[in-house]
Amino acid sequence: MKLRKDASALAIMAILFLAAGPIHLAAQNLDPANLLKPPADSWPLYHGDYSGKRHSSLSQITPQNVANLSLAWAFQTNQGAQIKSSPLLVDGVLFFTVPDNIWAVDARSGHQIWHYNRPSKGEHIGHRGVAMYKGWLYFTTPDCHLISLNAKDGSVHWDKQFADPNQGYWSTMAPLVVGNHIIAGVSGDFDNLVGYLRSFDPETGETQWQWNSTPPAGTPNATTGGMTWMTGTYDPELNLIYWGTGNPTPVLNGQTRPGDDPYTCSIVAINPDTGKLAWGFQVSPHDTHDWDAVETPVLVDADFHGKPRKMLMQSSRNGFFFVLDRVTGQSLLTVPYGPVNWNLGIDKQGRPIPDPAKEPAPDGRFIAPDEGGMTNYRAPSFDPKTGLFIVDAHPSYSIYFAKPADGTYGWAGADYGLWGKGVIEAIDYQTGKIRWSHELGPGGSGAGVLTTDSGLTITGDAFGSVLALNTSDGKTLWHAGMGDPMQSSPITYQLDGRQYILTSSGGVLFAWALPQPTPASLHSQARGN
Amino acid sequence: MKRLRDVAILTPLIACLAFYLAQAPIQAASKAATPTQTAQPASTQDSPGSKSYSTNCAICHGDNREGILPAFPPLLGIQHHLTDPQISEIIQKGKDRMPGFPDIKGDEMSSLLHYLASADPSAATAVPGAKSTSQSSGLADAGGALFLQNCAFCHGRDTMGGESGPDLTRSKVVLADVNGDQISQVVHEGRPEKKMPAFNFSAPEMQSLVAFIHARAALAASNPGGRRGVDVSDLQTGNAEAGKQYFTGAGGCSQCHSPTGDLAGVAKRFEGLELEQRMLYPRGARSKVTVTLPSGQQMNGTLAYLDEFVVALRDAKGTYHSWQIANVKYNVNSPVEAHVNQFSKYTDADIHNLMAYLQTLR
Repeated sequence: MKLRKDASALAIMAILFLAAGPIHLAAQNLDPANLLKPPADSWPLYHGDYSGKRHSSLSQITPQNVANLSLAWAFQTNQGAQIKSSPLLVDGVLFFTVPDNIWAVDARSGHQIWHYNRPSKGEHIGHRGVAMYKGWLYFTTPDCHLISLNAKDGSVHWDKQFADPNQGYWSTMAPLVVGNHIIAGVSGDFDNLVGYLRSFDPETGETQWQWNSTPPAGTPNATTGGMTWMTGTYDPELNLIYWGTGNPTPVLNGQTRPGDDPYTCSIVAINPDTGKLAWGFQVSPHDTHDWDAVETPVLVDADFHGKPRKMLMQSSRNGFFFVLDRVTGQSLLTVPYGPVNWNLGIDKQGRPIPDPAKEPAPDGRFIAPDEGGMTNYRAPSFDPKTGLFIVDAHPSYSIYFAKPADGTYGWAGADYGLWGKGVIEAIDYQTGKIRWSHELGPGGSGAGVLTTDSGLTITGDAFGSVLALNTSDGKTLWHAGMGDPMQSSPITYQLDGRQYILTSSGGVLFAWALPQPTPASLHSQARGN
Repeated sequence: MKRLRDVAILTPLIACLAFYLAQAPIQAASKAATPTQTAQPASTQDSPGSKSYSTNCAICHGDNREGILPAFPPLLGIQHHLTDPQISEIIQKGKDRMPGFPDIKGDEMSSLLHYLASADPSAATAVPGAKSTSQSSGLADAGGALFLQNCAFCHGRDTMGGESGPDLTRSKVVLADVNGDQISQVVHEGRPEKKMPAFNFSAPEMQSLVAFIHARAALAASNPGGRRGVDVSDLQTGNAEAGKQYFTGAGGCSQCHSPTGDLAGVAKRFEGLELEQRMLYPRGARSKVTVTLPSGQQMNGTLAYLDEFVVALRDAKGTYHSWQIANVKYNVNSPVEAHVNQFSKYTDADIHNLMAYLQTLR
């Protein structure tokens, strides 16, 4: 009897083994049409969908049952770099990164399928993740290569260098896929370099177009900079991508770049087929504090003051929350969401007016927020039911210095943070009023935010806990210590009827889910135990 | 019998796994290790040890022993932390990912060890003005690559300050460091209170990093113009009398501090930027906490930890105690919060005046 059972097990395994190959080969193929309406069992884009809302329709995990949330699995990368990426999930496989490394991990079990490692020179400050088109992944590297890989096994499809690391460029961002365009951006504000976006052919890697943020380096009285180091969003109806650009260079000394310095510290709308600019809105004209405007341009379709609008919202690093009409780029609302002391009111276009007396000076200027900003690259979330824009805010103060001896190249000054803390703020997008706030601890947390239709807000605190908050009032419903503060933005997906929430801490990825009956527990239940 | 059957079941799975591993990309060692074209001086280039090195070692450890970090450590200066018997054992048996080279023995091993212990030929072209230390420029170059990958974002590519990290060429830690004794501690342990992470570098990596930082500090010291950062002389624009009025008046400083008490001689203890930073917000200031247990017993001490869920203190004897917040009541007394409350009230002139006043407290 036992023998027969084993024999049948062998047969089943053999069948599974034989079947595994072809099924596996058919999988890991992302239909670009799915990007327009991602299924619940996927997270196929950096932000989950094109809108950047980081709001999920999933509702298995609720405010009522979240207290039971427990660890489904953890994946240990066994290396020193912190996970700062958002995983992609396609056909049951997660793809996530740190600089030089990609892991493909089974989303059900958390075991490794393959690992790609390519040591490189250049800035290894962080990495945001990969993009996917059909069966190909797209990965940026510290030495500014865009590498296309086969999602099945991590083998290299093509490899194009798109900026020169010896000039001071590097890249950390997750590219954006729109139709047959792979759109990638660059980092590099330690040198006076032009920021740009470049679109690549997914099959060949050939350049389709390039959009430059600023005039060429060396143009008199003009700025350089405007790095494009975070992933943008996309409106398929308007066929426009929305992208945030980084600070101007030289960074802390604005004298050689008088005026507004377009399009640095801006939100720009670009046609993904041609690379042509539709409009640009500068959230920090003539920035001298390193406040990149690369935070997610969140796309929301809803009423604004009683009128239906296609809006774009950004909680910007400079301390202001912006609501724009994303058809025209016109301002609807500009309001600070924490202490700011660097502007002289708001101009007619809705832009903060920089106070010349708050530019860095030889004897120091006291500035709020600090250089890390009121928020940074980790994503906020928009909850459509409550109309709340929920952001990990960082009220903070610092001192900024610049003197002639600091020159006009690269950083060109020095700045020092004094104090800061982390607060989750729920902003009413129609007024900018903060409906609730939730303290996260000294220094700040750095975690991104995810909301779900069931009314949960997932984020992390300054001590290393992952938190599940009630979206309606910000109260903590569940938490678990992960060991180190989360430096990424959470994601969620549902597989085989089970909803998972993914968070990271240090080099470990954690998958949380409601407890699932095991065969043993089912058996004991059946016996009435 | 059962075990054997399991093996039979496992075999195809292992084969499958092996197939997958074979398909996985080979760690790009061969690509990354593309030899550079730097020529070696003839004297070492022709030695048997050098030839053995070129044949067996250079592919991973670099043509000039500079390493290819982070994957492959530099071997320059290896004689400072490994003995010849240790080195030859590693060569013969391998270590971690490094394969063993059992065929290297006898005369070849001796000449290779001799070569590995030889000075860095590129040291002759060291950074002008660099201190003459045991660290060589080849090592500093290797450290430079490591620095760029791990440190440059915060401390700047030239070590002179970047996003949120200070200028290391002015750092007290760097200036006091001798062959890495101070730097390596900070790097290995991090500075959590300043958000600097800890880095787990190997000894050779750390050695190269230290060499690079010292080379940069020496270069900066030899070229005093054009440095970024804040000098004491930059912070002398305030009015001490106005600062004194602010101290006792609008600033509210005198509610907690006294120029003849805790702040007597403060300008002798701190100066320049450090004094200004401490004046605005003294990092690491302690708070007191009283915790009331369900029994009614009260515990007093220094606040050691506080998040939403747990409160902890260190008592007078130095013992750490912690409680779930749901189980106790607690009351924190945090005088440093007065500094935070002042932030929204300062003008830049207030700060400069206050700074001028504090600098009179010698």
